[in-house]
Amino acid sequence: MGQGCAETQHASSQHSGLSTSLILACALLTSLAGCGAETKVTRVDSGVVTDLSGRWNDTDSRQTAEAMVKEALGTPWLDNYTRNHRGKQPVVVVGTITNKSHEHINVQTFVTDLQRELVNSQKVTFVAGRGEREEIRQEREEQAMHAREDTQKAPGKEIGADYIMKGYISTILDEADGVKAVFYQVDLELVDLESNVKAWFGQKKIKKVVERKRTVF
Amino acid sequence: MIARHLAIPLLCLSGLALLLNACGPAVNRYALIDERLRAGDAVRADTIVEEAQKEYGSKSQVLYRMDRGMTLHLAGRYDDSTAVLEKADQEVEQLYTRRITTQAKAFLYNDTELPYEGTAYEQVMLNVVKALNYAVAGNLQEALVEARRLDHRLNVLADQTEDKPDAYRDDALARYLSGVLYEAAGDLNDAFISYRKAHDAYLAAHSWSRTPVPPMLRGDLLRITDALHLTDEHAQYRQAFADASWQPGADPRQLAQVVVVSYNGRSPRKEDHFLDLPISLDALRLVLLTKAAIGPQSNTREARAAESVFYGLNGRIVRVALPRLIPQKTAVAYEQVSLVGAEGSYNAPSELIQDLSALAARDFSERYNALAVKAVARAAIKYAAAEGLARGARVAAGRDAGPLVGLLVGSLAKTLAISTEEADKRGWRTLPDEIHIARLWVPPGSYELRVRPIGKGGSQVGRETVHPVTLQSGETKFFTELALP
Repeated sequence: MGQGCAETQHASSQHSGLSTSLILACALLTSLAGCGAETKVTRVDSGVVTDLSGRWNDTDSRQTAEAMVKEALGTPWLDNYTRNHRGKQPVVVVGTITNKSHEHINVQTFVTDLQRELVNSQKVTFVAGRGEREEIRQEREEQAMHAREDTQKAPGKEIGADYIMKGYISTILDEADGVKAVFYQVDLELVDLESNVKAWFGQKKIKKVVERKRTVF
Repeated sequence: MIARHLAIPLLCLSGLALLLNACGPAVNRYALIDERLRAGDAVRADTIVEEAQKEYGSKSQVLYRMDRGMTLHLAGRYDDSTAVLEKADQEVEQLYTRRITTQAKAFLYNDTELPYEGTAYEQVMLNVVKALNYAVAGNLQEALVEARRLDHRLNVLADQTEDKPDAYRDDALARYLSGVLYEAAGDLNDAFISYRKAHDAYLAAHSWSRTPVPPMLRGDLLRITDALHLTDEHAQYRQAFADASWQPGADPRQLAQVVVVSYNGRSPRKEDHFLDLPISLDALRLVLLTKAAIGPQSNTREARAAESVFYGLNGRIVRVALPRLIPQKTAVAYEQVSLVGAEGSYNAPSELIQDLSALAARDFSERYNALAVKAVARAAIKYAAAEGLARGARVAAGRDAGPLVGLLVGSLAKTLAISTEEADKRGWRTLPDEIHIARLWVPPGSYELRVRPIGKGGSQVGRETVHPVTLQSGETKFFTELALP
């Protein structure tokens, strides 16, 4: 009887050991299988800084445009111009902003940010750039053919710009052991369209460090 | 009686082994893709890749995007190709961070459990194909963004392989293409730097790259150093390339350029190479008998399932799976490219710029030792674990049922260990064997561009392609061709 009981206990402890091993194995397999993350969408204010990948983003575009236009309009060339032209505001057009960086930057977004800042400053008169002008001229040509005479807009009444704003977006990259330093440099210049004199030269630098872990659990 | 008891578990084992062996990637899709590409139907080839996205599995989505990016590129859907390859590029960046759990799982199961991030040269090709997408679509500024990214990627690679001078540390194709793009954009200084780096890359890899310095690169270096008035460098290159032909003095703004990039053949594929190691005389006999019975069909799934069951039942055989690289060399020696128009007739042969099979072989040989050590260690651990499990089950089942349960559990565990052993055969298979480039400078005007693949024997192989092309002064137009005879 005693021996039988001992055998039963022995078998029971063996079964219990096996069960524990099975549970552990299942737990290990489950953890190895990994766990998926559900998609989560959060609505945030468009002014909130969202640095996710370290690449050029909407915040960089907006902040650079704001800072550079503020700097451009705070320098003496503007006062000099208004003084020399009996209070007339200078007329500015945004030219080509060339992307010389390592990223496919949507330069048009940056140009739009620049245009918005210039227009809202109320210190300069702003005229449409080359691409927009073509569309507007085509519209006038169509008006001349199809619109009522008293509503047609005549050609030859465009305002010529006094200055063109153009520039570059460049980057310098450095990377080692999962740490990447990205240095953005935005150079903008305001060139007098009559004399080719560079009235203003601005520079904005942004430096980001992106760190990636080599291993995670 | 025992035989009757064993019949059902044996059937289950066979089914399980067949099921596990059927879990591998269906590589036959590449045969279908090649067939469509050979027939000149890149659109259908792309559809085959697209429809197989789920087959690639969650661990191989980068590979799916690589294959898809290339078929979209060949089908002329450049924007879509760029979008897909950009996604692959971002995923590769994310895969820098490795998960310990995934690594452990791959170590216990096989390397196909690791997320595929591409080899170093495949990652470079992501940017190369994107640059070509932009260039062919006429968007030179965005193509230059890819050229800058290539420069950064190659700089990081060079830093990582600082102590391995013979390793793949730079990419001559990427450098040369960057030079062509910078020159087309009028940035001669950056073009010179890229050409010079391409030249250095060809020299550094000459022992294994099977690609000599292309004659056109010598001409490019002479032309550009002359244009930049780099007299010292120009004199050095004149001395080094005494026999190189180049045209000084021609104002590139008065001429137009056509660049033809041709993809010849198919990149190498990988096969499983199984090493079945018997650890007893009986096991040796079984291995020899099985191999003789199955014969040359040993790499089929059914044969592998049968072997897994036999070896699992024997219990004294360890299987190690290693990949084997199978080159698929192209029959095309070069392309004869001609422009025929009212302004005249111009011809140039294409020149070998990159032998991707040589790059794949180099990468493979660099990684083989580590792969072999890992595979042997994995096989040993699986065998030991199966032995331990069998013993544990035998003890747990008690005196009467122990031997039978131990035998069944041991056979099951060893069959599992053997049937899950598989080499990682993944690779960017829609890439070509070789990449050639031809460049022609011609007066502006309307032409007919003809590209004729020429075989090793000097006769035409494959189809000739014809494109009408109109060129403006100072303009560079890019074309890509696939030659898969």
